[in-house]
Amino acid sequence: MVKKDLSITFMGVKFPNPFCLSSSPVGNCYDMCAKAYREGWGGVVFKTIGPKHYLIDEVSPRFDALTKEAEPFVGFKNMEQIAEHSLEENLADLRRLKKEFPNQVLIASIMGSNEEDWEVLAKLVTEAGADMIELNFSCPQMTSHAMGSDVGSNPELCKKYCAAVRRSTKLPFMAKMTPNITDMCVPAIASIEGGADGIAAINTIKSIINVDLDKKVGLPIINGKSSISGYSGKAVKPVALRFIQQMKTHPQLKDVEISGIGGIETWEDAAEFILLGCKNLQVTTGIMQYGYRIVEDMKNGLMHYMDEQGVDKLEDLVGLANKNIIPAEELDRDYKVYPEINNDKCVGCGRCVISCYDGAHQAMEWDKENRRPTCNKDKCVGCLLCGLVCPVGAIKPGERVLKPGRKAKNLSKMVLQESVEKL
Amino acid sequence: MSEKYREEYEVGFSPRLVMEEASRCLLCLDAPCSSSCPAGTDPAKFIRSLRFKNVKGAAETVRINNILGAICARVCPTERYCQAGCSRSGIDKPIEIGLIQRYITDFEDALKMDIVEVKEPNGKKVAVIGSGPAGLTAAAKLAEDGYQVTIYEKEAKAGGYLRYGIPEYRLPNQIVDKEIKRIVEMGVDIVLNTKVGEDIKIEELRKEYDAVIIAVGYSEGKMLPMFENNRKVIKAVDWLKKCKDKKGNVKVPENVLVVGGGDVAMDVVTSLKLLGCPHVTDVVYEQFSEFKASKKELENAQEQGVTIIDGYVPVAVARGGIVKFKHRVIPAELKVKADLIILAVGQSPNVENLGVELEKGEINAKGVRVPDTNVFFAGDIGHGEKTVVWGVRSGKEVAFEVKRFLGGKK
Ligand SMILES: Cc1cc2nc3c(=O)[nH]c(=O)nc-3n(C[C@H](O)[C@H](O)[C@H](O)COP(=O)(O)OP(=O)(O)OC[C@H]3O[C@@H](n4cnc5c(N)ncnc54)[C@H](O)[C@@H]3O)c2cc1C
Ligand SMILES: Cc1cc2nc3c(=O)[nH]c(=O)nc-3n(C[C@H](O)[C@H](O)[C@H](O)COP(=O)(O)O)c2cc1C
Ligand code: SF4
Ligand code: SF4
Ligand code: SF4
Repeated sequence: MVKKDLSITFMGVKFPNPFCLSSSPVGNCYDMCAKAYREGWGGVVFKTIGPKHYLIDEVSPRFDALTKEAEPFVGFKNMEQIAEHSLEENLADLRRLKKEFPNQVLIASIMGSNEEDWEVLAKLVTEAGADMIELNFSCPQMTSHAMGSDVGSNPELCKKYCAAVRRSTKLPFMAKMTPNITDMCVPAIASIEGGADGIAAINTIKSIINVDLDKKVGLPIINGKSSISGYSGKAVKPVALRFIQQMKTHPQLKDVEISGIGGIETWEDAAEFILLGCKNLQVTTGIMQYGYRIVEDMKNGLMHYMDEQGVDKLEDLVGLANKNIIPAEELDRDYKVYPEINNDKCVGCGRCVISCYDGAHQAMEWDKENRRPTCNKDKCVGCLLCGLVCPVGAIKPGERVLKPGRKAKNLSKMVLQESVEKL
Repeated sequence: MSEKYREEYEVGFSPRLVMEEASRCLLCLDAPCSSSCPAGTDPAKFIRSLRFKNVKGAAETVRINNILGAICARVCPTERYCQAGCSRSGIDKPIEIGLIQRYITDFEDALKMDIVEVKEPNGKKVAVIGSGPAGLTAAAKLAEDGYQVTIYEKEAKAGGYLRYGIPEYRLPNQIVDKEIKRIVEMGVDIVLNTKVGEDIKIEELRKEYDAVIIAVGYSEGKMLPMFENNRKVIKAVDWLKKCKDKKGNVKVPENVLVVGGGDVAMDVVTSLKLLGCPHVTDVVYEQFSEFKASKKELENAQEQGVTIIDGYVPVAVARGGIVKFKHRVIPAELKVKADLIILAVGQSPNVENLGVELEKGEINAKGVRVPDTNVFFAGDIGHGEKTVVWGVRSGKEVAFEVKRFLGGKK
């Protein structure tokens, strides 16, 4: 049995492991958070608590899923706002959770509509016993423009509200960013300037994921209509990773601690966020689809990964991939790598030929008699689309050649991926 | 011709296919698969680990719950156990749990994972009689907790019916070797060629050890009186043992008659076919509707071209190996002349000189302990079903009771 210490300190607070519920219905009340703690989550970001005067009135139904072939949940859309329970109930739940689970981390998520709201809420959750606070600057479906992602895309407001929170609490707090923006670094820097200790990213992406073709309305249908609203789940992971990498390599943000969110389901997803600089991880959609139990394999899988990597502290893995993500203009463009076809593995479907002809450079040729592909190197550009579409992983990066006129280099020393296969 | 016998019949999953199969799993709430695995291997959990890309974690689950996980993966009658109530059947067909378990344990083997941790010696000694699945599991579970365990085995090699019964094409001995090696590396001592009750007295073991576990299985094939002393007749388990021992290098005659219709009979007829026997006739007491053999094994046998005749009982045997059968229901008769007659009409236990009594083939005591003694029992001679995975369950159970007994005596 592998045993590794998964504990890690984030914004000055020690977490037994980096895995947290992200603020959403998965952490809606005492019972849910207690169950999550018991099943091994390191922390909980409680469902966003709003000001007393803002009344929550949710739609029904409120979710939809993007599917692909037999895959039921590639991405997930929700139209939910913030906590439905009363402020008093939420504060009572926070108090009880901290009392009963002192060793696991409790994070309160709050959202106000003006400076006073933010100050009051920060004070209330501090008094209720939260270990840290997350400022929700990022819900894309609020019914008020003074709240949610409209705040997160306005750096002045981010800074002002962070300053307000800083005035009323000594707890560490992070600002949760919206991806509905071109450059996340701008509001992140403003938040840090306002006094935030860290950044959480990402919240959901504004989306329309399906349109009902008979009723001619987006899904989910709410009495004949629908709205643009937040997209999450596996499909948003690439977007989250990109924003996080950009922040972690920005000179003004590189030392700021980040909690990574977006499409985490497996230990592999988790490790990717860690390698790009996250010290903390949050999950919603994966839990909504599969339950809190997914944390077991995320924790165990991460321990095995640490074991393989020969590290004893999770900390030692944080940010290791950032230095290898560089501007496109700095990449090595002197060589190409041809596909290598394993004829024993090939089942003769010809998908590589179709994709190469219709989507690449007409280099993959078809031996009709033997029903096997061969690569014509005169035409091949080495894009390796063929390897991505091959259903049995029979095509992998093979012979490396220098482009004409480039300075000689040791091609065998180049670091390439071993396979392009997706399974 | 013996290659076919030596090659594993069923083809294992590739990484891609195992993931496709795991993706069919519905990740059920109170997963029926897990509650119906006799050994508590917890398929719902190991399938989920695989599905969420944690194959090493899946291997840990299998191995910690079932020390013979790679064997069970190959020989469990899954249609009766884990796959029986699979929720996926509500859509199409059950998840291939045995094959998934096999993928996971093959992965464990390929990566040379060392999963089970052994505690410091606790000074207590336990003897186990018999190295079949029940004895092996009991030994491993005790060794894990620091007990010093010695297995006594009458044969030249350990494994019981895993080694000498189940044919190579279903369970290669190489797999049995690896599973046993793992248990030996945990500190279990196996003393071979030693029959308790003959080479060593059970009373001695009872004195020398803090507890003794009898796990001698159903080591003998049954005989029917009419076939006694007939030179053309051999018992199924003896014939299968010879095959497995010689890796299939045995001579098979042209025309063989097999009597019996259980899984053992299916192993015999299929082995015969794989070894190149042209004419294999199996005459079965049960009618097809009440057949005992697992569907899969029956299908394999039929695929191999075995002639199966159902509903007949042998009534007489004449000179030259002519056996006369009568139908159990309709007025019909059958005569078969064969070069070799293999009897697969059941196995029975032999507990001679072991100081215990049998009742209906099981030791006549409740639970797993002979009352007022330090003698315990497990496996086929214990209570419950007569399968490998029940042997594992019973081995776990007896180990637990022995620990309670020895801990409680202090
Ligand atoms: C041909 C065949 C095929 C089978 N196929 C399957 C299958 O596919 N799936 C399945 O689940 N089950 C199958 N079974 C049943 C399964 O093998 C048994 O239920 C299981 O092996 C019982 O385990 P055990 O540990 O009780 O005894 P055994 O496996 O019988 O082991 C008992 C051991 O004790 C030894 N022994 C006996 N007496 C003494 C003594 N006095 N001193 C020392 N050692 C002694 C024996 O030599 C033997 O090694 C099959 C059985 C047979 C015969
Ligand atoms: C149904 C639902 C409700 C959500 N509610 C909130 C919320 O109240 N506060 C918040 O900060 N984020 C909320 N989110 C966003 C998530 O916390 C998270 O940032 C986002 O879903 C991306 O992570 P995921 O892919 O793991 O779901 C919600 C998401 C979903 C799906
Ligand atoms: S690498 Fe690109 S161009 Fe070359 S054969 Fe494959 S798909 Fe065609
Ligand atoms: S041990 Fe056997 S019965 Fe149990 S899950 Fe595995 S294959 Fe199924
Ligand atoms: S019962 Fe079947 S579908 Fe359900 S968890 Fe078990 S294997 Fe999966």
